This record gives sequence, C-alpha cells and structure tokens, in this order.
Amino acid sequence: MLAYVVRRVAYGLVTVVGVLFLLFLLFFTITAPDDVARKALGEKAQQEQIDQWKRLHGYDRPLLPGPGHVRDNMLVEHFRRMLTFDFGRSDADDTVILDRIKDGAVPSILLTTPLFLVGLCLGILLSLFVAFFRETYIDRTGVFLAVLGMSLSILLYIIGAQFLVGKLLRWFPISGYDPDPAVVWRFLALPVVVGILSSLGGNVRFYRTVFVEEVNRDYVRTARAKGAGDGRVMLRHVLGNAMIPILTNVVMAIPFLFTGSLLLEAFFGIPGLGSMTVDAIDNNDFATLRTMVYIDALLFILGQILTDVSYTVADPRIRLE
Amino acid sequence: MNLVRRLVRWSIAAYAVLACTNDPYPSTDAPVKVLYRPFDEAPKTLDPAVAYTTTAHDISGLVNATLLEYHYLKRPYVLVPGLARAVPTAELRGAQTVYRFELLSDLIYQDDACFGAHHGGARTRPVTARDVEFELMRIADPEVNSPALEPFAHVVDLLAFRQRLTALRAADPAVAVLPVPEQYARARRIAGVAVTSDTVLELALAEPYPQILYWFTMPFTAPMPWEAVAFYDGQEGRPHLADHPVGAGPYRIVEYDKQSRIVLERNDNWHGARHPEWRAPGTVFPVDVPAEDLGVTVPNTTPGAPLPFIERVELRREKERIPAFNKFLQGYYDASGIVKESFDKVVQNDRLSPEMSERGIALRKSVEPAIYYVGFNMDDRVLGAPGGNRAQRLRQAMSLAIDAEEYLRLFLNGRGVPAQSLLPPGIFGFEPAYRNPYRTPDLPRAKRLLAEAGYPGGIDPATGAPLRLTFDTGDTSAEGRLNYTYYINSWRRLGIDVELQATSYNRFQEKMREGGFQIFNWGWVADYPDPENFMFLLWSKMSRKANNGPNTANYSDPGFDALFLRMKAMESGPKRLSIIREMRRRLEEDCPWIPMFYPEQYSLYHGWLHNVKPFGMSTPQAKYYDLDPALRAERRRVWNRPVLWPAFLALGLLLALVAPGIATFFRERQ
Repeated sequence: MLAYVVRRVAYGLVTVVGVLFLLFLLFFTITAPDDVARKALGEKAQQEQIDQWKRLHGYDRPLLPGPGHVRDNMLVEHFRRMLTFDFGRSDADDTVILDRIKDGAVPSILLTTPLFLVGLCLGILLSLFVAFFRETYIDRTGVFLAVLGMSLSILLYIIGAQFLVGKLLRWFPISGYDPDPAVVWRFLALPVVVGILSSLGGNVRFYRTVFVEEVNRDYVRTARAKGAGDGRVMLRHVLGNAMIPILTNVVMAIPFLFTGSLLLEAFFGIPGLGSMTVDAIDNNDFATLRTMVYIDALLFILGQILTDVSYTVADPRIRLE
Repeated sequence: MNLVRRLVRWSIAAYAVLACTNDPYPSTDAPVKVLYRPFDEAPKTLDPAVAYTTTAHDISGLVNATLLEYHYLKRPYVLVPGLARAVPTAELRGAQTVYRFELLSDLIYQDDACFGAHHGGARTRPVTARDVEFELMRIADPEVNSPALEPFAHVVDLLAFRQRLTALRAADPAVAVLPVPEQYARARRIAGVAVTSDTVLELALAEPYPQILYWFTMPFTAPMPWEAVAFYDGQEGRPHLADHPVGAGPYRIVEYDKQSRIVLERNDNWHGARHPEWRAPGTVFPVDVPAEDLGVTVPNTTPGAPLPFIERVELRREKERIPAFNKFLQGYYDASGIVKESFDKVVQNDRLSPEMSERGIALRKSVEPAIYYVGFNMDDRVLGAPGGNRAQRLRQAMSLAIDAEEYLRLFLNGRGVPAQSLLPPGIFGFEPAYRNPYRTPDLPRAKRLLAEAGYPGGIDPATGAPLRLTFDTGDTSAEGRLNYTYYINSWRRLGIDVELQATSYNRFQEKMREGGFQIFNWGWVADYPDPENFMFLLWSKMSRKANNGPNTANYSDPGFDALFLRMKAMESGPKRLSIIREMRRRLEEDCPWIPMFYPEQYSLYHGWLHNVKPFGMSTPQAKYYDLDPALRAERRRVWNRPVLWPAFLALGLLLALVAPGIATFFRERQ
C-alpha cells in the first residue's frame, strides 16, 4: 500500500504543477496588473500611486524568465510563493493571506464539522429507515421529499430559513457571528440546520439506493434466518456492507471542511474561508483567490488519496498496489 | 421517584433546547448605551492620510480629532473649531495666503502601546502642531499614496518636498529604511508649513484657496503621532497603521476584526472628557439649536450637555442588505437605510407606513450633496465640440428627451430630486427656482432641435439611417441593463439609435481615460460643501483624457474656465452668485452633461435613538447621538418573543404521518 500511496502522491505533485501553471495563466496573463491596482486603490488613484502599488505587490516584474531576470519574474515568484506556502498579502487590503486563512479556518470548521457529522448521521439513519420500509408509502413519501429537497436551490433554503426561522419564528439570529463560546452556537445553529436540510435530500436518495440494493442480498436473508433482529440487520450487516460507496462520498468531503461553505458563510455573515473567497471574488483580490484555488486543489488531491486508503480499512479484501 | 427525576431532567434539557433567542448580543450589554450599526465591507485602510471612503471616515473620524469640524445642526454647513481654538481667517502676506491654526493646549492622544516604545513606557503624550505638520508631510509622501495630495498642492513647497523626498530615497537606498520622521527631516521640511510653537501652525498657500479649510474637517489632516507610524509597521506581530489608527478623538478602537466586528469605546483622554469645563465647540451639544430641529430631533435636555452620550459603538458585519434590514426591524440595529425590496412596505405615499410608525420608527429624508448625470464626450466629432452647433443642438435635444422624474420613480422609488444644474441643494449657488431650459421634458421641441442639428426624425443624412450613437457603461448587471434601456428608449422616441456597450468596469475606465466613448453616466459626491467642488468637474484642467482628472466629459470652454478661476477663490456672496449664474448659463447652452438627479437619502431610526440629524458630509456624527437602552431592551423583548408552536406542530404532523405506516408494516409482517 505504501508504494501505491507514494505513487499517488507523485501523481498529485504533477497535478499541482499543472494547477500552478493554470493559475498563472488565469491570474497573471488575462487581467492587467494596472486594472487590479485600480480596483484596489479606487477611481481617484493617480498613475504614480498605481505604479507604487504594483511595486509593493510584485506586479512590476517581467512576466516570464528572460535574460537578466531568470529568477526575478512573476512566474518564478508565483511558484516559489505557492510551493513554500508564503502566500503574500491580499491585493485588496494588504492583509497577510496566511494570517487570514488561520483566522478564517476556525469559524469554517465550527460551521462545517457539525454540518458534516450531523448531516451524515441523519442522512444514513433516514436512508436506513426508508430502505427498511421500502415499497410502503413511508418509502415513497421519503423518496418524494428527498427528490423535492435536492431539486431546490440552497439559496432558497437560506432565504427561506432566514425569513421563517430568523424573522417570523425568531428562534435564532438571522445572520452574524460572535466568537464568544457562550453565544457562538446561536449564530451557527441556523446555517448548520440549513446546510443539513439542503444536503439531506441528495444524501437520502443516494444512500437509500445503496441500502435497498444491500437489503435484497443473500447475506441479509441468512442473517435474518439466523435470528438477527431488524436493528442488527440494518445497522451492522447492511450498513457495514454499504460502506464503500458511502466512504467514496464522505472521505472526499473531509478535507474541505477546512475551507468552509461559500454560500452559507456569505449569507449568514460567518467570517470563514468560504466568506473570504467570496470577498476575494467581489474585490478582484487575485492574490487571495489564487491561494484559495491552490489550497482547494491540494485538498482535492489529499481527499482522493484518503478515499483510496479508506477502502482498505472498510473492506480488507481490497489491496492497493 | 425515578420517573419524576427523569421528567425533571428531560424538562431541563427541553428548556435548554427551546430557550432559543434571536438576540445577537450578550445580555449584559442590554442596559449599556451601545450604538449598533452594520457594515458590509471593512475599510481597506484606516490610515487617516489615505482613507477616503464613507465607512473608513465613519471609524477613523471618531478616532482622529480634526482641527476644524462642521456645526452638527446648522445648514448650510458652518465650520466650527475642533482641536483649533478658532476657525482661521485668510491673511495675505505678499503673494501668499496664510492660515494660522492655534491648537488648544493640554491635548493628549489616546492610550496606546506605540508611545511606550519611544517614551519609556508612557501610554500617551501631548498633541502638538508638529504632529499636524507630520501628517501634512505624509500627505506629500509618495509612499503614503494619499488621495488628498491635489488640494494640498496649493501649499507652498509641498510638491517640491515630495520631489526632494523621492530623489533622496532614490539616491541613497539607506535613507529609505530610516525612520520616517528622519527621512522627512533630511528632505527639509515643507517651507509652507511653519510650526512656530507647540500649539501654532501656519499654512502658506501659493494662491488663494479658501476651500483648504474644509480639508481640515477630514481625518486627512488630523494630528498623527510619528510613534504610531514607526511602531505599527506590520512587523513582529504588530498590526499595520492601516488597521490600528491612533488619535485624539472621542473614541478609540478596542476591537478591529475586519471580518465580523469593529468596536469603539469612549476615549477618556479626549479633551472633551478631560476638560468638560472648557465647553469647547464639538465637546458639548450645540446650544444654538435651529428651530426646525427643536422637538424633532433634539430633546430639550440635550443642548449644552457634554459629549459623547454613547459609551460604545459596535459595527457588525452584514454582507447582505436584507438580513441587515430585518435585524433593524427586530431592533438589533438602531438605524438603517431602506432596502429596495421592502420600500413599499416601509414608505407609502412618500410617508412612513402606519406599520412602521406604530413601532416608533422615524423616517428622515435628506438630499445628499451629490449629483448623477449623463455625460457626452466633448471630444467626439458627432456629439462634442468638433461637431460645433450641430452637436450642441443634438445634445440639447437629447437632454429634452430624458425625464429625470420618471427615471427616479421607476428605478429609485422616487428617492431623489430632479437636477436642473450641477449644484445640489445645500451648496452655495443652488437656487430652487432655477429651471434649466433643456431639462423639462419636451419631445416636440427636442425633435425641432434635432432637425436643426441636421438629423430630422433622427435620420443621419450621411447614412440615410437613424443616427447611431453608443452609451458606455461598466455595469454589466441585469438591473443596470434595465436602467440604461430607459435612456435608450427615451432617445429612440426621437428616432436616434443608441447602442449600449456594457463592459467590465476596468475596460470602461480605460475607455474613459482614452476618450473612446460617446455617452456615459456618472456621479459625484461632494468632498466639501462649496460650489468649487462641483464646478471643477467641468474645468478643462481637470480633463480625464488630458490629465486623468474628474472632468470625464473632457469639457473645455475658455470662458467657463476664466469664470471658474475667478469664482473658486471668492467668498460666498452676491458677486460669487452672479459668476455662478453665468457659468450655469454657459453650461445649460453647451450641455456637456444632462444633469439627472440629486440623490435623496431615506433613513430610518428607532424611537430610542435621539439627536439624529442626517449629515451629507462624510464625517461621523456618533458623538452627538444619544439613546435610551431601557426602551430599546423592552421593545426588543416584545418584538422578538420566539414562536415555538410550529415546532411542536411539525413534530406532531411527522409522527402522525409515519406512525400508521410503521404500525401497519409490523402488523402485516406478523
């Protein structure tokens, strides 16, 4: 397995280099640095100010290596920064990007971890429930609601929840965030519920299909014949044997808990990394944006390797070679 | 017994779950005078020499006390002393105009760690005239990038100082790493800024520029301790000065989290707090309250009371407007604008709706010192000066086809005043009775003018087809498109075919700089309440194409320029008014702009917030506000009782739906 992991990591590194080249093309060659500077400095900025901003942010260097500037150019500097995790400063407000990532990771994790764990448990339990009552009206209603739920945009969930739960029922604040541990749950409760509800339909639909397929297999009949109860059959045998498709779905998502949720954070005013990415898009903050895209790419590669490894844990018959 | 214990335990757990609240603030803050306000995006910088946005001034203006201020209540705006003893008057010394500022004595800065690093652990130090000089040198410093450089270019030797500093840094890289005050000293001080004692600073201008005084109401010129610039350099865990302003104002920042919360508390070192006996202007509520404000905004007990009333100002980040507005309606913000989506619910027949009035909310309207306009490229051969009389008639005809009132009704819920000239209400030279002969919609006359221009029925004789023009914009949104379609349809009624060219904002800016456009629209918000700040938008020296200035129409009329130069340095009075009338007359005939409207701010305030008077200038007024926290807590309690029965109903419905199915399933299986 070690050889397999090493090989996957090596493939991953090649992918990272490809991602860095793409980022360079997107962020350094398409938009002129003068335009980025003007966006950051405002309409009244003079050319002298723009030149100075470019100097401070490293946009005054030649784009590609050439005679006299083999190392001092934007391409080499871009690779150096990304590979050493020295992301520099934001184009919009000069904040150190790494500091901002450290600050934003906590609210993101506080939001996405309960959302992920509760959403996963609830999705699996509800799927087991409807799979158990398959071919009854409970199953059909469950599937109908799941399809309905997955057909609605998350924006509708967000706006609906803010209006219904925050404004009309007044259970939780409509939006906002306070890091004080005594009150932080007040602000996270509604986005967590919205996040769970919006993903529940898709999860239930997918897991139910997996479970219904397992429920009809011979080993289930054997377990029942041996006298296993419904709970044991569903939770131990069916769930245990359906782990591979579940792991494919779940392990891939774990690394992304760190980067938060773009829409939930933006609409509920949670200062996490998702919100930071939306701000970067709004403000043409290319330095932050390319950092977040790069981190996402790294996490995606990590997620794939973790998923593969997790298969061997869930099913000892699988060998990674 | 066991059952009872279990019931009690479950009840406690249920209570913990159900004791939900939508209150975003800690309950301990309820009795405190905290002003809550939303912000959508944190300022890019709070460095007073650089910050130029309303949000930035809302914060840095509370932290940095300025030498002069505006009278809070009087309109038209009146200057009053701030840190200065008096508003200086111009003194002619040879060819120079000199303003002598005398600072109050015994002023000190807020407590801050930056002073300890240079003065043996001291927490503060006195404010001196040298600190004002230092800030003026920072405005001149090319590395600071101050947007206020242009008005201060009138100061004798300021631009030369800038050049000396640049040359010094370029000649010797070692200079660039010296502490900033030392670099400034080596570049020799600005000759036009003379500090004659710790409290006296004389400012010499090369030419008369009375508007310079207005710049002393803005944080750009607030005294800046050099220690703060040296200390807050972003190194070794210290923040940048841009995120940590140090001043001598009524408030100081105690928490600055750009992503979620900014908190300011009273500054006990502010001269108003240390010397209430001085009763200095700007440290007590004005006693000369204009009659129209008595009983409307200001309770009788307030005049003469020491400031500030509010103990803490908390700004919470709200990226989306609708949640912020809903939180205002729940009582969690003290004041708000009106979101477009709720306008009809809040305002009916131009008055506050009964629903809002019942909640004790007040609506205050104020016309902002700003103008929005449609501009023509005066360098364009069809529409501009090269087109001569034909182009002039064409512009006049196009102006007559646009109905600003209808535009306001359709797109801004009527929030604005149709403009007749470029001077908005509240600015000297604005005359309510004035009517621009080309700004009252008149389609038949427009068609006649169009025919005189050589385009009868809008047909271009050169092509035999409708005259084709382009309207450039940097707004690519669907809403923007709708907006511009209004203009295009208006001109289509004349037979003119105007094509919208919506590009990215950067591309649009580029076109404006290069002069590659025909029609555009833009707005201008006053920096200070003087006609010069509007008229200069059409001064040829400010041409966008030639000098990258704010004259986006690239208008150039030597007659207008001569009048502008005469008017700009004059005191407001009948002579100045007659010049302004002449300038206005030239503009109405030349028609480089179609003045569209002066925006009108509709603001909502809860009944517990007192002393609020809308203020068009970008200077924070929170030190004058007062509020009643007991009334606010009571209203919030009544308005925000959680409604729990739907939760029980939903649970019941779910059980009722599922239980029969489960029962039937097991019964059938048995």
